[in-house]
Formats: sequence, structure tokens, C-alpha cells
Amino acid sequence: MIRLTIDGRRVESRNGEYLLTLARRAGIEIPTLCHHEAVEPAGACRLCMVEITRPQWNGWSKLVTACLYPAEEGLIVKTSTERVLRTRREVLELLLARSPRAEAVRRLAAQYGILEPKYAVDQEGDNCILCDICTRVCATHVTGAISRVNRGVAKKVATPFDEASDVCVGCMACARSCPTDAIAFSQDGATRAIWGKTFEVVPCTVCGAPTVTREQARWMAQRKGVAEEDFYVCDVCKVAKTGLSCRKVMW
Amino acid sequence: MGAFGIDDILARHVGQEQSLIEILHDIQLRFRHLPQETLAEVAGHCGVPLSRVYSVATFYTAFSFTKKGDTVCRICMGTACHVKGAQLIREEAEKVLGIGAGRTTSDGKYSLEVVNCVGACAMAPVVIVNEAYHGKFKPVELKKLLGRGE
Repeated sequence: MIRLTIDGRRVESRNGEYLLTLARRAGIEIPTLCHHEAVEPAGACRLCMVEITRPQWNGWSKLVTACLYPAEEGLIVKTSTERVLRTRREVLELLLARSPRAEAVRRLAAQYGILEPKYAVDQEGDNCILCDICTRVCATHVTGAISRVNRGVAKKVATPFDEASDVCVGCMACARSCPTDAIAFSQDGATRAIWGKTFEVVPCTVCGAPTVTREQARWMAQRKGVAEEDFYVCDVCKVAKTGLSCRKVMW
Repeated sequence: MGAFGIDDILARHVGQEQSLIEILHDIQLRFRHLPQETLAEVAGHCGVPLSRVYSVATFYTAFSFTKKGDTVCRICMGTACHVKGAQLIREEAEKVLGIGAGRTTSDGKYSLEVVNCVGACAMAPVVIVNEAYHGKFKPVELKKLLGRGE
């Protein structure tokens, strides 16, 4: 068992979990934008910076990203020292200057007292803060249709050659996991468009409500070894169907 | 069986993600650019999504999707070279070749690139033509070095 303290509170970890996980379990709030339960942490947004020290460090301390730093025996973690808050504010200043219209960034910045960033605001700046959640989600759980391309100021999330992807199944996992609503898509009845590709959303075979795209059903069916048609039943009807089966079993 | 003439390159490298950069280097060397069609084959060979290959290919300046010239002239703009007048060499090169940095002449003979430190600071300023390093370089030597005029 690893024992450490976070903001003076004693916490324990059996397997060297990350500091962010431990802090949140202890009810200590650390802001994040690039953290997503469905994927491995990436340390991309730099908002979860915390200060760590040890008694034998003689007062020396350092900043680390809580989302990537594993619990260590005897570590003293502080999540809201002046140094931490100053760093966090600086990161928010930069994020707000880059993506002035991103609601999640604006809200967080306002919490830290930043309404107008001190840096030159990129008026054309889109909402993408390159947190990498979408690309990690897509690569980990779907087909890896998008990735970060280019480098430096030209870096962006895109499909290869900015063309409609052969492997994108239109599942929307990227857009739904995006913390800043930066991924453009449209859905008009049974037609969905995302990443330059148009998909047909198949209606539920029971009630007619939209379910998933044909491509997504085909991909999931292949992966799980079940029939494609199984995915053309909406969640509500699936629950109803399960309920009926249960009733049959019980009575 | 691929249609783009990279079968032998792929055969030289184990099919895993670690081989990605090596393979792209070999393709860049052979075609002087990365033909768009080859990337899917590389992805298949390494067992990674095409988007991963594209991500790597766009990250490193050593790779390009537009064909580089027969002769690639690189001008080091690192700190030491900068102090020793790399900017003058760059201006001279742009004048001699008639193209901006990062471009290739329309006849496909020359590409001009500016690079950051090449690790030969003692020889500053440095110009690299293809793989040959030329140290303590003077702008006037450029025409001769590139075989243009005089």
C-alpha cells in the first residue's frame, strides 16, 4: 500500500494510481480539459499541475501533471499553492487567447478570474485546444480515422490529407468526447456528416428512432462477432425487449 | 503485392509501429518525396491506422509530400550560424536559385531549405548540399557550389 498526502489529507493507493485519480477520489478538485475516463492520460492541457515535495527535499518542490504522475510512498502533494494557481492561470491565459470562443475554456478561465487574456487573442482561433481526446478515443476504441497532423503552430486534428476517411464510421465518439465542441458535424434526419464524409443513420427497426450509421454497425458487428442487424434497434427498444424477456423468465 | 515499388523497402523492415520512421525515410530517399498512395501500404505493413502514418509524416520536416529537387541545399540557421551570417547566405541562395526557402525550382533541380542547428557549430556558418557539409561558408561560394553560373 502506498501512502501519501494530498492537501494534508492522507490517501492510500494500492497500485500506484495517478495523483489526479487519488485527488478526485478524496474529493479534491483539480481542473482538467484533456482528461477522459475512456483513454489513457496524455498530459496535454497542463491544467492539472500540482506541486510535489518530500521532507528530505529540504523545502524544494516541483510541479508535475497530476494526471500522469503515479502515487509514490511519502509524497506530499499540494493542489492549490500560489505557485500552482499562478501556473494554472498562465495556462488558462494561453488557452483563452487561442480559443476565445470555447465555452469550457471561458468558464474555467472565469473561475480563475481571467475574462480577457493578457496575450493577443486569436480572433480566428477555433475551439480546438489540441487536448488529443478525440484522436485518443478514435485510435483506442474505434478505427483511428483522425490524428494530430503537422507540428508547432500548424498542428491540428484532421483525417489523412484532409480527405474523407476510408475508415471513419461516423460514430461521433470524437465530437461527443470533445470538451470544447470543436469538431464540426451536422445531423439532418437520417443523414449525418462529419470529417467531410456523409453517413446514413439507420432507423430503429422497432420504433424508427435513429440508431447508428451503417458503417458503425458493420464495424461493431465484425469486431464483436454479432449480426449487423442487432445494432439497428434503439436503446429504448432494447431495454423494452430485455424487459419482456425477463418477464417471460420470471413468470 | 503493392503497386508503388516499395515492396523491397517494406520487406527490409519488420511489420510493426517501430519501423514506421525508418520505412518513411527509405521511401523519401527513393522518391525524394512520400507519394500519397504509399502511405496506406506502409500503414498496412506496420499495423497502424493510416492517420498515424500521416501524423508522423507531417510532423518531421525530413518528410515531404512534394518532390524535392535533385540537389537539396540546406542552410543552417542555428544560433552559431545565425551569428556568423547565415541570413546573408540564405538571401544569396534565394537570389541564386530564384526561390524562397522551403521551395523547389520549377525545373525540379534544386530545393532550398533552412534548418535549425545541425550540430556542427564549430564550422559555422554551415551549408549542406545533399549530404555534404560545407563549413565556414561564405555567400560568394554559393554559386560555384550549386553549379550555377561562374
